[in-house]
Amino acid sequence: MKSKTPFIIILLVLAVAIGGAWYLKKAATSQGHGAISNRTPASNTTPPPATAGVNGAEPPHTLGPTSAKVHLEEFGDFECPPCGLLHPILQQMQTEFSDRLQITFREFPLVPTHQHAMAAASAAEAAALQGKFWEMHDLLYEHQKDWHEVFDVRPIFEGYAKQIGLDVERYKRDVNSDPVADRIIQDGKRGHYLGVKGTPTVFLNGREVPFESLPADKLRVLINSELSGSK
Amino acid sequence: MTIESSTLSKPSSLAAKRRNLFYIAIALLSLVGLADSIYLTVQHITGESVRCTIISGCSEVLSSSYAVIGGYPLASIGAFAYFSVFSLAILAVFGYRLAGQLLLPVVLAMCLVSLWLIYLQAFVIRHFCQFCLLSAGITFTMTVLVLVNWRLNRR
Repeated sequence: MKSKTPFIIILLVLAVAIGGAWYLKKAATSQGHGAISNRTPASNTTPPPATAGVNGAEPPHTLGPTSAKVHLEEFGDFECPPCGLLHPILQQMQTEFSDRLQITFREFPLVPTHQHAMAAASAAEAAALQGKFWEMHDLLYEHQKDWHEVFDVRPIFEGYAKQIGLDVERYKRDVNSDPVADRIIQDGKRGHYLGVKGTPTVFLNGREVPFESLPADKLRVLINSELSGSK
Repeated sequence: MTIESSTLSKPSSLAAKRRNLFYIAIALLSLVGLADSIYLTVQHITGESVRCTIISGCSEVLSSSYAVIGGYPLASIGAFAYFSVFSLAILAVFGYRLAGQLLLPVVLAMCLVSLWLIYLQAFVIRHFCQFCLLSAGITFTMTVLVLVNWRLNRR
């Protein structure tokens, strides 16, 4: 009769593997500044608000009224594919929740991971100087696949500037200007202050939303939870 | 008679020791591969692997359509494969000959899959994920070990 030892070793390794996986999953879902639970309204806990400390670029790029009960702050990189996937979801949320939700976009270009991330952020900020941030923001995300592997993105972004009705000559000057660079730096500082390590990172009423909760159905539940919790 | 058998058993005992060392090395390597695959599986399930980060090219690789097979994260299939290799190697150490014989086809299959994944990263996705490369490196090392062991056993 052969020894039972190998089977005991195999079972032990299996137990450690399952335990390790469980621990890693738990750690991943609870990281960040007070991760939001799907079941518990966010107002039941007291995390540090995302509005504290470093404020980021002022004024921020927002959609929806400041008086909205739910504030969603996104740290995004226009060249990041998952940010591109989140874009229509946030548009959908904005339509559904209308004046009950305010969305803020913060620049968080991942350099050098994404070679055109900084150029795209600058394009959006330069458009903002002519009051067309969200128009450029939408075009950059919607056409992400058209430009992210191109060698020189400047002509493409200038084309977008023309398409949304910007003064292209002014846009060309602004895109490399100090105020544009400063806004990106300020948003980046805020991101680092809040512990942002990747994109997209979303905060709902000041607390980080786990990445796995960003699909539309889960995000909707969280926003509704925030709305009911703030009554 | 006693002298003869002791003289004859010495080389076979050495061969058995060498075989066991190979199996133990494969078992240890498969543990590293198992840990790597579990990490990637958890990252996939929680969505963290899909998030873009400053240090990783993994998001492009792990958010691609090739990262999922039949609805299951490819990394979880890798974890299963590494666990199978570990189990076979441990059973082989304890004298289960069939387990030792099964190691060669299983590791060769993993090696072929790793080659295909490296091709996808290099020429299709055009991004490399360091955790995937670690897994491939482990598989290639295990392949060399099982091939050397197989060659020595044939002599």
